Amino acid sequence: MEISLGFISDWLSAAVRQAAPVMLVGVGGVFTERSGILNIGLEGMMLMGALTAVAANFLTGGNVLVATICAMLAGGVLSVGHAYLTVTRRANQIVSGLSINFFALGLTNVLIARLFPTQRCRVALYPVLVPERLHDIPFIGPVIFSQSVIVWIAFVLPLIAAWVLYRTSWGLNIRAVGDHPHAVATAGLSVIRLKYVGVILSGMFAGLGGSALVLSDLGYFVENITAGRGFIALAAIIVGKWNPIWVAVVCLLFGVADAFQLRLQTFGSAVPHQVLIMLPYLLTIAALAGFVGRTVAPKTINQPYDPEKI
Amino acid sequence: MMKRELVKSKMKSLWQTTLKDIVFTSARPVYAIGLAFLVSAIMIGASKVNPITAYVALFQGAFGSLAGLANTCVRATPLLLAGLGIAYGFKAGLLNIGAEGQMYAGGAAATVVALIPLPVPAFLHVTLAVLAGFAGGIIWGIIPGYLRAYRGVSEIVVTLMLNYVAIYLINWLVEEPHPLAELNTTFPQSPIIEKSAQLPILIKYTSMHAGIILGIVLGLILYLLLRYTPFGFKTRMIGQNPEAARYAGIRIKRQILFAMLISCGFGGLAGASEVLGLKHRLFDYFVGGVGYEAIAVALLANGNALGVIFSAFFFGALKAGANKMQIVSGIESSMALIVMALAVLFVIAIGFGERKFRPKRKKDKDSTERGIKAYGD
Amino acid sequence: MEGITKQFPGVLANDNITFELRAGEVHGLLGENGAGKSTLMNILYGLHQTDSGKIYIQGEKVEITSPRVAVDHGIGMVHQHFMLVDNLTALENVILGIPPRYPPLLQLDSDRARFKKLAEEYQIEIDPSTPVWQLPVGDKQWLEILKQLFREAKILVLDEPTAVLAPSQVIQLFKKLRQLVAEGCAVIFISHKLVEMLEVTDRITVLRDGRLIGTIDTEEATSSKLAQMMVGRPVSSDRTPRPPSKTKKKVLEIKGLYCNDDRGIPALRDLNLIVRAGEILGVAGVDGNGQRELAECIAGMRKPEKGAIRINNGLITGVTRDQSLLGYVPEDKNKTGLIDGFTVEENLIMKTFDTPNFTRKGILQWSAIREAANDLIEEYDIKTPGSTIPIHYLSGGNQQRVVIARELDGEPALLLTSQPTRGLDLGAVESVHKILLKERNRGAAVIFISTELPEVMAVSDRIIVLFKGEIMGDLDGDTADVNLIGELMLGHREALKAAGGAS
Repeated sequence: MEISLGFISDWLSAAVRQAAPVMLVGVGGVFTERSGILNIGLEGMMLMGALTAVAANFLTGGNVLVATICAMLAGGVLSVGHAYLTVTRRANQIVSGLSINFFALGLTNVLIARLFPTQRCRVALYPVLVPERLHDIPFIGPVIFSQSVIVWIAFVLPLIAAWVLYRTSWGLNIRAVGDHPHAVATAGLSVIRLKYVGVILSGMFAGLGGSALVLSDLGYFVENITAGRGFIALAAIIVGKWNPIWVAVVCLLFGVADAFQLRLQTFGSAVPHQVLIMLPYLLTIAALAGFVGRTVAPKTINQPYDPEKI
Repeated sequence: MMKRELVKSKMKSLWQTTLKDIVFTSARPVYAIGLAFLVSAIMIGASKVNPITAYVALFQGAFGSLAGLANTCVRATPLLLAGLGIAYGFKAGLLNIGAEGQMYAGGAAATVVALIPLPVPAFLHVTLAVLAGFAGGIIWGIIPGYLRAYRGVSEIVVTLMLNYVAIYLINWLVEEPHPLAELNTTFPQSPIIEKSAQLPILIKYTSMHAGIILGIVLGLILYLLLRYTPFGFKTRMIGQNPEAARYAGIRIKRQILFAMLISCGFGGLAGASEVLGLKHRLFDYFVGGVGYEAIAVALLANGNALGVIFSAFFFGALKAGANKMQIVSGIESSMALIVMALAVLFVIAIGFGERKFRPKRKKDKDSTERGIKAYGD
Repeated sequence: MEGITKQFPGVLANDNITFELRAGEVHGLLGENGAGKSTLMNILYGLHQTDSGKIYIQGEKVEITSPRVAVDHGIGMVHQHFMLVDNLTALENVILGIPPRYPPLLQLDSDRARFKKLAEEYQIEIDPSTPVWQLPVGDKQWLEILKQLFREAKILVLDEPTAVLAPSQVIQLFKKLRQLVAEGCAVIFISHKLVEMLEVTDRITVLRDGRLIGTIDTEEATSSKLAQMMVGRPVSSDRTPRPPSKTKKKVLEIKGLYCNDDRGIPALRDLNLIVRAGEILGVAGVDGNGQRELAECIAGMRKPEKGAIRINNGLITGVTRDQSLLGYVPEDKNKTGLIDGFTVEENLIMKTFDTPNFTRKGILQWSAIREAANDLIEEYDIKTPGSTIPIHYLSGGNQQRVVIARELDGEPALLLTSQPTRGLDLGAVESVHKILLKERNRGAAVIFISTELPEVMAVSDRIIVLFKGEIMGDLDGDTADVNLIGELMLGHREALKAAGGAS
């Protein structure tokens, strides 16, 4: 296996492209977790978003913008369900999330069979907004400049999210409500509304992530195309300590490892490529085990909020 | 003579309380299942298919023939075994969502024992393989169990992550030229296991194997354990209020670890039964989501061991009938997944109501105090 | 507030209450636990809606539909439990939820300046950038008050603000309240402590069972009059006469105990203590000076760093399940002493379920358990429709009876109780005291940990005071002087010498 500059730039360019959808999901997921709601259904919302993006794209004859909006809406609708169950009905958040995953899997399987009963066709992809000339610059060209617009969005989003979380009063409220909802209630704010918004945001960005997954360079949808990426995003949120920028960095690192192990498979090596795939998951466990004493997780995560138990 | 009558009356009251238990716990889930079918019927109708046709086909596929019945049992078996483990975990206050990984671990362990041509009678070989499966699940539970019991780390994410580790571990094991791989095949798998290690088939010419019996028996045992033994009492204490359990002198760290190991062990059993009874090989990705479905099974039964038996059969029937439904009515088999998901979603939306018991009492000081206590005074 | 009525399921919390607050006054709201004080104030703060009745502020009728509306009208409330987000800084907690500005950005600099100014004005020494989890309990209370001042509250409601304060801090609080009303605020001071009411308030309103009993000027009020209004009958706080103890047998012996709290900070230092049969040892002190750690060490729930604890000469190395040795009624009965989701009988056998009575051949004998449970229910007068009822349907007082019944059933040599009367009404409090005395007369050694000084003095044979994990003094219950105890609670050991000492 030859580690040339070409190999590296090829590898990193793939890494960036593969990490982008997960970054979108992960950063969005920070908001729901901070508000105290565990959203395991990110996987299902991403999947739904992916299907909707392809379907809307196909049905509108290639309108990528509409496809994106529809994808975000799809994720949002699912997340409204999750929010209703977990915030209003105070149901078990894990079960709700898992059921949404099943539901999305079943529904997308059914719908994709209906949409493309015989053969699949490719739909329009996200445009690359950077002018062609810049693509040829060695290294930075392929890695940065030839990425489609959605990848750029995925890199800008964490910065915006961090700014919102730490510099606006709404961000302060979200940070508070996951730790001590009653304090927020007695301060005169609506805990329910904050939680709903947190969950819906995560759903919308999960949908956006799904759209990024299918429309950045694939152009089609297969059953269960997300294959666990939603869970990787969840892992990244934990390793990234619920900070949008760190979460994005962790997603990027996971993408780097993932792209590397794919290339490893073609070359064959002593280290099994499965080890590299396992890495993010093992890392998360290690990160969790290291959090002894001061926990950084939002205090009331996975606990239902009962307004009466002041 | 008196003693026999005493025993008879005790058995009768045991049966009565158990029946009451089942009826009360199942009221809401049944209602939720009904709603799920209703909503799905609307979706089926929107696809221009008569929902009745679809559901009849579903039912026929699940129960209409011996083959169908066998299929239902076969599908129900891993859901039952893993579901029991998860339900047991619920009772101990643990959220074990790692059944998927535990099934892989158990399946792999059972395969190892089952591949060795042991010079022992068949039932011994099978038993050993099954025990190996249980052990495999336990091994997969050591890390989350230790972290939860001794470090207070939530088992939710740890078990979830280990699922993926398990998938890729098995993927590596059956990929040529690694230890468990069969050579020269198109699909990564292990060699076929020894005949002596296979779970016996219950009904000839079907695939229904003894795993279902194992599941039902274990379900009964678990139910009685939780209700009628000190160990079960301790487990329930920890699940309800670990701090109070500590106050009562229970060694909670040990108890939590045991509970997690047992819960994971059942997941291993589920994987072992799939390999030893149905597939007779370790296939890559053989679990395919069943571990997660088992969580839904356990939830639908509200963690009640006996309820899990019914719940597992329900889900098994859905899956068994789905294929027939697709053939007859054209509705894709994935619709079964949708019904399942809706059933669970409706159950948690409705909640599990407790028996409503509002004792009548005069308005004395105590009731005033008690009524307000929940509202802040 | 006029004609306020509030019905909760099963209970009439407020029954046609009319309450009036004048500018520049400190108005005390007095009543037992469950009298309806918090409910009334929660209605004022918009957390609950009144069924009928009206609220007027400065003569104008207002509809307070949510805390936000209340805050807009200048009402601020400091709750019984801290409403502070531990992970955020003091400043962030204070600015949480203040009326939104455009653009919705945090203006930390200007807010910080305002924080510092207010803190200075009222001599509250808190650094705004400290994360709240690092603040000591007393500072957290000040921060809560600062939160309301930041919002320019004109009507300040304080719900049991002195629960976590030492006597000197209470004096400081009262001084600040006086400063506030001098500047035009009005304060509503909720408490069930008669002594404090008399000290700081201008007028006192007494509630009982959700009804308004009366409003009187503090000048005309006396402790016994208030107690009578609170309870509805004359209440005596005299000491019950008691026979001297027969034996001098040492039941509990603690030598050189050092113990840390949850954060690893030393909570008990070089504690030495002997408790004998037939005496009630009262442990006084402000909450948080090691009482919890002491109780947990004795009960075997917490491992000490150094030192030995012996009950009847047996060394304590862990939680003892021998009910004839130790009975422990813990501070937080719901979190620790009872299991909410279990039935009454299951709670009663929490510690004895695996004894030969109840477990034969590894199987729980539910009929025997039921019988024993019913016996206990009768003996301790636990009001419950049956033993198979989930325990959370019982009232607080009855739940406490379950705990007591369970702990006393084994006739323990040592009875350890921590805040056993917290949250109970006066009738239940009296019966708990009676039980303690009964056990003492039976020959048990009783340890009675309580932050309520009056009851410690009324009940105990001997009183020790805990301050920062050390015993400040060992006084005789009959002759102890309340002022001396107050001094010791602050750590002023010298007061002992001044008073001539006693041991």
